Amino acid sequence: MTTVTAPPGGAPLQPRTRPSLLRRVWWSDSLAGWAFISPTVLLIGLFGLVPVVWAFVLSFQHNDLISPGSWVGLQNYRKLLNDPQFTNSVRNTIVYTLIFVPVCVIGALLVAAALNRRIRGMAFYRVAVFIPVVTSTVATATMFGWLLDPDYGLVNVALNKVGIASQGFFRDPHEALLSIVLMTVWGWLGFGVIIYMAALQSVSADLLEAAAMDGCTRWRAFWRVEVPLLAPATLFLVIWLTINALQLFDEIFVTTKGGPVGSTTVVVYYLYMQAFQYFNGGYASAIAYVLFLAILVVTAIQLAVGRRFSHGQR
Amino acid sequence: MASRPRFVAALAVGVVAALSLAACTGSGSTPAATQSGGVVNITLSHGYTDVEAKAVTAQVASWNATHPDIQVKLVFNGGNDGALQKTLAGMAAGSMPDIAYEYGSSMAALAGRPQVVDLTAKVSDPSFKWDDFYSFERDAATSNGKVYGVPALVDNLALVYNKKLFDAAGVSYPTNSWTWDDFRAAAKKLTNASVKQYGWAYVADGSEDTTWRWLAMLWQEGGSLLSSDGTKSAFNSPAGLKATQLLHDMAVTDKSVYLDQGNGNYLNLFNSGKIAMLWTGPWDLSSINSDVNYGTQILPAAAGVHSSIAGPDNWMVFNNGTARERAAWTFLTWLTSAQTHGTFTLATGDLPTRASETKLDTYTSYLAKYPGDAVFVLNLSNVTTARPNTKTYPQISQAIGSQMQGVLIGQTSPQDALNSAAQQADSALAAGP
Repeated sequence: MTTVTAPPGGAPLQPRTRPSLLRRVWWSDSLAGWAFISPTVLLIGLFGLVPVVWAFVLSFQHNDLISPGSWVGLQNYRKLLNDPQFTNSVRNTIVYTLIFVPVCVIGALLVAAALNRRIRGMAFYRVAVFIPVVTSTVATATMFGWLLDPDYGLVNVALNKVGIASQGFFRDPHEALLSIVLMTVWGWLGFGVIIYMAALQSVSADLLEAAAMDGCTRWRAFWRVEVPLLAPATLFLVIWLTINALQLFDEIFVTTKGGPVGSTTVVVYYLYMQAFQYFNGGYASAIAYVLFLAILVVTAIQLAVGRRFSHGQR
Repeated sequence: MASRPRFVAALAVGVVAALSLAACTGSGSTPAATQSGGVVNITLSHGYTDVEAKAVTAQVASWNATHPDIQVKLVFNGGNDGALQKTLAGMAAGSMPDIAYEYGSSMAALAGRPQVVDLTAKVSDPSFKWDDFYSFERDAATSNGKVYGVPALVDNLALVYNKKLFDAAGVSYPTNSWTWDDFRAAAKKLTNASVKQYGWAYVADGSEDTTWRWLAMLWQEGGSLLSSDGTKSAFNSPAGLKATQLLHDMAVTDKSVYLDQGNGNYLNLFNSGKIAMLWTGPWDLSSINSDVNYGTQILPAAAGVHSSIAGPDNWMVFNNGTARERAAWTFLTWLTSAQTHGTFTLATGDLPTRASETKLDTYTSYLAKYPGDAVFVLNLSNVTTARPNTKTYPQISQAIGSQMQGVLIGQTSPQDALNSAAQQADSALAAGP
């Protein structure tokens, strides 16, 4: 906004040709910029910011979402501390995230490395890897529901063929969360692969050539040269996948509905139950805010650690 | 970009906030009555598709042709599963239909709100013949002693079985005097692990779908869900234990039950001859393939009581000013009369909502057209209890459903399951809505 303030003291260099204030404001880059983004700002403000603020207000109320609520102070937050179902959902979410993120990142890295070469039909493989990402979650979940059906699913048929007993998958409380991991890794892997492939393209061939001349094997060059150079992409993926893992909902909603016996009730699914099945809007908002804070803290830690790590490389 | 989970979470928070924001800006604001030249225009929101949509459209068209003073506009609500959420959002925004189709389970969330018209005085008019509706339908339309709905659809659970599988296993068909023991023994004989054939199927997703079938069993044993004053749970009882034990014995000991995970696979498997018996309602009959030779029978009984359970849905009226409210009631009286609904059931195969519909001339053609429905109509008299219309019911249902899921997969013992479910239900009841 420096355009509107006249230079302090002394005569301006070209007083005559200087355009009028109004004109200067009108043509200034910042105003044009604001004008261009204002529709977006308005929409995001209305449908993003206002609800975020309002949910914060709600979290201090007892509110069934329709009738005016009553103020209850910190009661919703205090209730969270003594809610075994909430504790259970937090535990499930953490376990899910700790398995999903590493599996997805390492899997994507390996697949991207495998696809980053010139072989016949590469375009086909690349499309095949990406298709799960653009497949609707509901379709994915329905398909996995059939594949992993304990009685009639193809996976159990295959396991039986090689002499392994049938598994319960979504029906077994000890396997349900792992089955969700399997399903979501399938759905997200392609996303990671795309990010890694883009990053691999930017690794200079000179570096790999130099490594080869120094007698470095291809495998060693991958781990010692390429992987460190991919650190920014890894950081982005870890943060992005963690945020999504902490907000897992759709797949649970379609397949297990939080069961069996609460073994896949994650935080957002519990929030949904409270808000839209029990109509405890205030309590649900408190859960949403605790989740928001958790994501904020986790992301901040990841950024801090990740930055230090990638700075050390170049 | 594939940020779907995040989007849903944002949406959830957004909707929570948007609804209450609107609620605070003024509930009870109603749009002006759409009136022009003595004609009152009203809207009816519904979730009918397919044959039902065709039938209701034809009925409304015939009404509009003969009643120039009250013109009805049909609005499709996008599917009844979201009807409650849509209605609540409409209330918050001050824009409501005059009449809406609502699930019976939505009654507790809607009853008593200022926008919902109390119909108690209207239905008590003798010409409306309120007592002609089955008593459990009337209970389901009532909350805290006041009537807020008129029954729109009624269902109940009966036994549907595949005759071919019975013949192949040499088991005689279910009779109306079957006991739980007969049922269990038959299911066991009809199970053949080597070809993955099951005697029975049970929806074990831990939702209301799991709970309501169990409730029928609880009632057959003479148990009840809540104490008579509704303040405490009462299902952790000998009756509750017997019902839960049967599930355990069949699913875990006999392994004669296919556990459906809520994705409706049981119907496909019934069609392909992998499941011999279902406890289901008339809504599934139209999805049974024509080459499956099936029979229907009332549920097996405990102690001679064949209690079933019904989920009646309601028409509810919303307050959009006196003129529209009066017009809506006039139309609804016609729509839910025995004559009009009788025509509707003949076109759709839905069950009669009024007892007198079974005495109409059209009923004979109805039975001829839908032979499978006869048992379901008779079975209406086995529905003696309605689920409670309270705001804590969804939590109680969730507690029971989740614990029964544990029993069915052999994770939890019947008594432990009942203890946990009762504890959760009691704490939900103590906390209040």
